[in-house]
Amino acid sequence: MSVQTERADRAGSAPADTIRKGDAPRGGPAAARKNRAGASVPYLLLLPALLVTAVFLGWPLVKDGMLSFQNLNPRQLILHLTEWNGFDNYSEVLKSSDFWKVVERSVFFTAANVVLTMLAGILIGLLLARLGKKMRLLLMLGLVFAWAMPMIAATTVYQWLFAQRFGVVNYVLDTLGWHSMADYNWLGTQFSTFSIVTLLIVWQSVPFVAINLYAATTTIPREMYEAASLDGAGGWKSFTSVTFPFLKPFLLATTFLQVIWIFKSFAQLFAINGGGPDRLTETLPVYAFVEGVGNQHFGMGAAISFLTIIVLVALTGYYLRIALKNEEDEL
Amino acid sequence: MKRKLIAAIGVAGMLVSIAACGSDDKSDSGSKKAGADSYKGQTLTVWAMDGSTPPNWTKDVTAAFQKKTGATLKFETQKWDGIQQKITTALSESTPPDVIEVGNTQTPAYAATGGLADLSDLKKEIGTDWAEPLNKSAVFEGKQFAAPWYFANRVVIYNKKVWADAGITGTPKTRAEFFTDLDKIKAKGKAEPIYLPGQNWYFFDGLTIGQGADLVKKEGDKYVSNLSDPKVAAAMELYKKYQSYSKAPKDKDEATPQQADVFAKGKTGAFVGMGWEAGTAIKANPAIEKEIGYFTIPGETAAKPEGVFLGGSNLAVAAGSKKQDLAKEFLRIALSDQFEGALSKESGLIPNKTSLNSNLTANPAGAAAAPAAGVSGGTTPLIPEWAPVENNPNPIKSYMTAVLNGKTPAEAAKAVEAEINKRLSQKN
Repeated sequence: MSVQTERADRAGSAPADTIRKGDAPRGGPAAARKNRAGASVPYLLLLPALLVTAVFLGWPLVKDGMLSFQNLNPRQLILHLTEWNGFDNYSEVLKSSDFWKVVERSVFFTAANVVLTMLAGILIGLLLARLGKKMRLLLMLGLVFAWAMPMIAATTVYQWLFAQRFGVVNYVLDTLGWHSMADYNWLGTQFSTFSIVTLLIVWQSVPFVAINLYAATTTIPREMYEAASLDGAGGWKSFTSVTFPFLKPFLLATTFLQVIWIFKSFAQLFAINGGGPDRLTETLPVYAFVEGVGNQHFGMGAAISFLTIIVLVALTGYYLRIALKNEEDEL
Repeated sequence: MKRKLIAAIGVAGMLVSIAACGSDDKSDSGSKKAGADSYKGQTLTVWAMDGSTPPNWTKDVTAAFQKKTGATLKFETQKWDGIQQKITTALSESTPPDVIEVGNTQTPAYAATGGLADLSDLKKEIGTDWAEPLNKSAVFEGKQFAAPWYFANRVVIYNKKVWADAGITGTPKTRAEFFTDLDKIKAKGKAEPIYLPGQNWYFFDGLTIGQGADLVKKEGDKYVSNLSDPKVAAAMELYKKYQSYSKAPKDKDEATPQQADVFAKGKTGAFVGMGWEAGTAIKANPAIEKEIGYFTIPGETAAKPEGVFLGGSNLAVAAGSKKQDLAKEFLRIALSDQFEGALSKESGLIPNKTSLNSNLTANPAGAAAAPAAGVSGGTTPLIPEWAPVENNPNPIKSYMTAVLNGKTPAEAAKAVEAEINKRLSQKN
């Protein structure tokens, strides 16, 4: 907790510095006037972001909400009919066992991916902190490339890697003597499909976590480690009592972001196997798409995506609470 | 009163001009001038499906259309995968594509949405001799919502070299002979006897029709899944036997990867496909052209070929199109005996009039397709409720993969029945 307040202090002091510097020659009443004008500056600066959010997020959300109370199928869409049907879509979704299975699957899928991503990301982040200059640059480059890879391109590459007949992975396994893998169908079962998607998502998400973590470690003062070693702390001890407390807020924030990103990942799951085999790898976003757009039950799809948002809020509620509480503490 | 009079004159004028177009060619060329001026500068957009518009036909039709109307014709090729969603969205827009090719099994569903223009007049004018089985799918509640364009059914496309290498002479006339031939290729061990992915449901539907069964049945006033019918199971067992000769993935359909592209590598004995797919193979590997041959999918006896799914395509005019007359002009040209015949000749597709069938003999793929189409062809039920079943993930495909992976047909049928019934009962 102390770390966070400290960070906030530092951040808070930065604008004050610049104001002081800029105002120094003029001083006096001019500064006061400027301050009053300056009071509106933060809001003006926020305005573009708020506008963009309202237009590209708020408005679609309102539209989506309206759709979710309509019976909207191809006929209504083509003839531009509006047929309100109250909570029918919601009650139908909530009553179907499929939906609950998908919710459960989405939660487990997110949990597995977030844990794996965070573990790998932390390890690589700490490795970055320890590496020499050249190796660090090399590793950073690799991470940045993985991070910069467009999602569908990466998915296509993975599809080819794991292709049944001409995939490199099967070829290598076969060459190494594991002949039963020669024509192995990776997309044939729920588990193996999820494994590939998990590998893909973890590979895509690790760079963000690792680089973030590495950046965080650079803020830890060296003296702390010296002090810890003087007190007789070994490697593990200095990690748990110096490194970890410093990294904790970063870890929390990154985990929070990862939960959101992984929960809503759609392209990877959909592009790799369309949510198959037999709809067994459909998570909530894919389910909403297949039911809504795929089966052309647009109202139903809207209802599912609204419920998806609710599930996501519930999942991230814990962090939101901590974050809000921290804000209050600092005020 | 006045407005009514104007409308009446307008209608009368339209009837006269339509009659003029249809009746004889000379007066047609006389009115050509007027037409050319009125449509000048306009562009008519036509959505055609992958493989429907062979290059020469497209070129000639475009030229003829330009000459007659002065307007430009723009073909946009669409993929079958995900087409229903695309058409729905397109029809809901204020500027939809003017003419759309719609598959026969999906036409009733679109007719029911109200997105297609009523073409009853056109049917009277140019369609009195349209083949009845093909036209059936275009009629909904007594109105004509599309114009039948062509029929197509699958044939066996084979690699003559692979067959000759395995010591096979001639082509099989019965199913048993076909399996013997596949065994010979397999024994030779140099090529995959047949490429058949696990989800070529059109072929499976053909086998089902061959067994005298249907994928759905009517129960009361509702349609429900018929997959648990032992005849469907028998068809699936046949499919499984064919599939056992292939290394193709059991959970993919014939388009991923394109089976013609696999065949083009020259290491595949045969595949079950549309005649035009040979063109895809040739494009991928021009050297394969001289090795390609076609034969009718053989049935139980030599007398009756295997059942085939009669895929058909209709041309529909979007109700929201602002170029209704121009769109009809296009239909008159594209569906004229001249171009309908040319299409059959070039692609081996079965034309919309039986009188034009002679064009097929000129095309080897068409010649192989025709015998089955006449006596063994069938379709999925032509009802609006059917189309949702074809949406991805298609439960029929899931059923096929399940059986191929070792489930009994009865178990597999049970697993997907609820989904099929749910889709069949979707309200509009």
